[in-house]
Amino acid sequence: MSKIVILGAGISGHVAAAHLRRKLSKEHEVLVVSPNSNYQWIPSNIWVGIGRMKSEEILFPLPPLYKKKNIGYKQALVTTFHPEGDTESASPFVNIKYVNGEQKGNTEKVTYDYLINATGPKLAFDMTEGLNPGTNKAYSVCTYSHAEHAWHALDDLIQQMKQGKKAKILIGTGHAKSTCQGAAFEYILNVEQELRRHNVRDQAEVIWIANEYQLGDFGMDGVLLSYGDNIMKSSEMVEMVFEDRGIKWILGAGVNKIEDGIAHYETLDGEYKSETYDFAMLIPAFSGHGFKAFGKNNEDITEKLFKGFMLVDADYTAKPYEEWSVQDWPETYQNPSYKNIFAPGIAFAPPHAISKPRVRKNGTSISPAPPRTGMPSGITAKLVADNIIDTINGKKDLHHKGSLGNMGAACIASAGYGMTKGSGVSITTYPIVPDYNKYPDTQGRKLGKTFGEIGLAGHWLKLALHYAFIYKAKMKPFWWLIPE
Amino acid sequence: MTQRISKSKRFYMMNPIIQFFKFIWLSIKIMLVVAGGHGGTRKVNN
Ligand SMILES: Cc1cc2nc3c(=O)[nH]c(=O)nc-3n(C[C@H](O)[C@H](O)[C@H](O)COP(=O)(O)OP(=O)(O)OC[C@H]3O[C@@H](n4cnc5c(N)ncnc54)[C@H](O)[C@@H]3O)c2cc1C
Repeated sequence: MSKIVILGAGISGHVAAAHLRRKLSKEHEVLVVSPNSNYQWIPSNIWVGIGRMKSEEILFPLPPLYKKKNIGYKQALVTTFHPEGDTESASPFVNIKYVNGEQKGNTEKVTYDYLINATGPKLAFDMTEGLNPGTNKAYSVCTYSHAEHAWHALDDLIQQMKQGKKAKILIGTGHAKSTCQGAAFEYILNVEQELRRHNVRDQAEVIWIANEYQLGDFGMDGVLLSYGDNIMKSSEMVEMVFEDRGIKWILGAGVNKIEDGIAHYETLDGEYKSETYDFAMLIPAFSGHGFKAFGKNNEDITEKLFKGFMLVDADYTAKPYEEWSVQDWPETYQNPSYKNIFAPGIAFAPPHAISKPRVRKNGTSISPAPPRTGMPSGITAKLVADNIIDTINGKKDLHHKGSLGNMGAACIASAGYGMTKGSGVSITTYPIVPDYNKYPDTQGRKLGKTFGEIGLAGHWLKLALHYAFIYKAKMKPFWWLIPE
Repeated sequence: MTQRISKSKRFYMMNPIIQFFKFIWLSIKIMLVVAGGHGGTRKVNN
């Protein structure tokens, strides 16, 4: 009998738990440790942030589902990792701290045979002075409660605009190294459409601010894609959409300080500038959780497990951009020091960025960190689950592999909500990490599988995915037929 | 605001009947990218 402990119940943790439980017999234990007892479909936060969806539509409670499916659940945070056990016991364990109910504040040792770290990112608002969702007129849509808060503030501003107020809206990245530009891109287009729906668009200046060197970089160095009969760069596509919607942009901006209605930033040209606003939504930097790991004799072994995020089978050798290769990217998400520990989704440490790093003269790096969207998070979690099942069944090697350099991703960016007025910018990319050797003439990507589309169908698709993925996450009949 | 999307293109983008077929086409195309599989990059670069 094996015990598999999964830390985190986001997209990757939940996918791993669901597949493990479906495929492993009852004698094996599957246990999830996560502080939030709700599962949330994060991509739909965008619509909560414009008041077109309620939080209740994008989340559901996990404990009843886990109970029904025979998945153990502890509403707690992992605090420390002990992959060699300690002086009392040789069994590896993690320390957890309960966050709710009668047990709140209590700690416990949770032993495991296999550990899946699916704790995603820490939303590091603290890395930008003054950036704290709901203060200084700056908001976030990274969680459903943040998104609700953002909507209340935006709604308030729209009401004031209806009385004649002129307003400036700033949306983008809140740190020089932020990622997740895609979410901010969706939000700015949705906000712009809502302003038109409320007949206040003329009173608003809508501005995109980002650490990207070019529009449409999305932390992936941009993409060359087929669009209808044309081949265009993602920068051209985004520029077309922004110009058409009257959205201005500021690029190469490392936001470093937020004051009440003022965003201060430094640029790649070495200038220090600021932009005022009446409402801002700025994506923070994502960092590791700062976990510590200890050896058998309580010695600090954090560097064997973490480099910010968790170390896996990537090539972490520091090298210049010109020498980066797809082979640097992990395939099995297994920790090299402790073979029974895995980190799918956002929890693994990437070997390097994907976008070309750009550094100011004073050394400040202003360029996006690599994105890891929902689809690769689900795929990597499933392959980790499959490899653990194989190992339990006696297989020696890890057969299931999924490098971001040999995996496609579909990103359906909402560009406005509504069954007849909605829109979506659908982009697929293959592979996610460009392979310049294999596709030298098309900027590292395969053109037939890297394409873009804009229109109402994109909105319907995004909405269909919302319902399909919540159905899947609820583990309703035949859920496993829906791909990650 | 600079009109960058022509009226005919906008009609195409927002017409529910055209977009219904686009929806089916997009769903299939995306499924193919997703179901196209994934793998490693190190031993055999395929
Ligand atoms: C606003 C927004 C919109 C997005 N839109 C899209 C989209 O349209 N398409 C797309 O593909 N991707 C999208 N993404 C990205 C997608 O949400 C992420 O790729 C995905 O959530 C990553 O999954 P994960 O499981 O690795 O991390 P997360 O979803 O962040 O899950 C981490 C889990 O770990 C838990 N946790 C944290 N700390 C601890 C701890 N100490 N102990 C135990 N558990 C812990 C958390 O509570 C959470 O349950 C969007 C992201 C945002 C923020």
